[in-house]
Amino acid sequence: MTTNETLIKIENLQKSFEKIDVLKGIDTEIKKGEVVCIIGPSGSGKSTFLRCLNLLEEPTGGKIFFGDVDITDPKTNINLHRQKMGMVFQQFNLFPHMTVLKNMTIAPVKVLGISKEEAEERAMKLLERVGLADRANSYPSQLSGGQKQRVAIVRALCMQPEVMLFDEPTSALDPEMVGEVLEVMKALAQEGMTMAVVTHEMGFAREVADRVFFIDEGIIMEEGKPEELFSNPKSPRLKDFLSKVI
Amino acid sequence: MTILDFSSWLQDVAPSWVASLPTTLQNFMFQLYQTFIYADRWTFFTDGLKITFIVTLGSLLLGVIIGFLIALVRTSHDLSTNKPSFILRVLNSFANVYLTVIRGTPMMVQLLIMGFVIMVPKNDTGTIICGIITLGINSGAYVAEIARSGIMSIDKGQMEAGRSLGFNYFQTMWHFIIPQAFKNILPALGNEMITLLKDTSLVSVIALRDVTKQAQNIVSLTYQAYVPYISLAVIYLILVIILTKLLNILERRLRNSDH
Repeated sequence: MTTNETLIKIENLQKSFEKIDVLKGIDTEIKKGEVVCIIGPSGSGKSTFLRCLNLLEEPTGGKIFFGDVDITDPKTNINLHRQKMGMVFQQFNLFPHMTVLKNMTIAPVKVLGISKEEAEERAMKLLERVGLADRANSYPSQLSGGQKQRVAIVRALCMQPEVMLFDEPTSALDPEMVGEVLEVMKALAQEGMTMAVVTHEMGFAREVADRVFFIDEGIIMEEGKPEELFSNPKSPRLKDFLSKVI
Repeated sequence: MTILDFSSWLQDVAPSWVASLPTTLQNFMFQLYQTFIYADRWTFFTDGLKITFIVTLGSLLLGVIIGFLIALVRTSHDLSTNKPSFILRVLNSFANVYLTVIRGTPMMVQLLIMGFVIMVPKNDTGTIICGIITLGINSGAYVAEIARSGIMSIDKGQMEAGRSLGFNYFQTMWHFIIPQAFKNILPALGNEMITLLKDTSLVSVIALRDVTKQAQNIVSLTYQAYVPYISLAVIYLILVIILTKLLNILERRLRNSDH
């Protein structure tokens, strides 16, 4: 479903914490409708890269264009752009003091300003799609890990974002719950949602991704279509990495 | 008003069976009569309680507001990843000075300074406001540290989740962080409320006629301290027990989302 329209353009992105350079200059772009999976060893900077895309981490160098707006420009109102970028976290980060429905509707109501009724209707449709309509009035603590993560995904979708960022969405789940979350993500990809997914699920990357980035030592060491990248890795680092994880 | 003397009370006012009681009991009943019934003295206590309530509620509210604002400044300053902005640094220094001064001086001294140096109220309403402001500012310093610990206890993922949905910093604080922090700090906050309720007994030094001052007034009329002061202690005890019960109910309500 990849189009030719560039949605996110990243130019020489750098990020350092204190004296440690985590990202050392990343140049790439993500097209509308594209599903990009980001793989790499832990500590390679892949999560930092993803978190820079909606400025949860502030880059220390380089530029990120969302559409044609430079979101790294301090004058840009980042809150406005985050509304269009859904994010799903490893630890779910649902709001524990709110029901599932409230978790989903509070942002559309308070941030986008749509009516409560409309937001609830939107939320219920999404919950039905992920098979959780009966849990609308539950609190997060009453849900399993897989259910929590599905709620987290539809919470982000309730804002009708243009791109979805996934930061290791299945890493905190029990193995038997990974599947149900990946199914939701697959369906989303098939609908044409633009997605950037940091993941350790190589099977998912191989099956769903349009393009895979292998990030190591703060740069995109290798990128390409999953079939090429997985079956014919060029750099020794990627060969080494793949031999360990597959 | 003339001072009631014991023998005329026994003769004219007390029921006849009192005379057959032991002398200590007779004396005790005389004191009770003097403290509460004679010349409608119970109204001293009810009037004093009104002031105590108003000052407690007012300063509680003020203290919680000040406390959370100071805590917000301090946590925003300490948690900001980049160098904090100039305004934030100024606010943070102010907050630190505030905490140091208020926690470093006795409440009694603060009341004396506010009452006789800074505000110097001219009428009753002014004095009440002076009391509320002084106690509120004092309590705010303690609430600030309690609130700060509460805000710090919330996982940073909550802030990230709120921000990633497009809420700004303060909206995220308001909708997600503070409600959870409030729940976590409720026991400590309850403690502070109880302390504050009892500390209102100090406002008599700025001539506020709270329930403590009224008990003192009765003592100065009857020259007997036993019953008025014991009654005063019982009144505070009952108030604190009621407050504790209310806080327990609130805590149970808020715990609804943890199953």
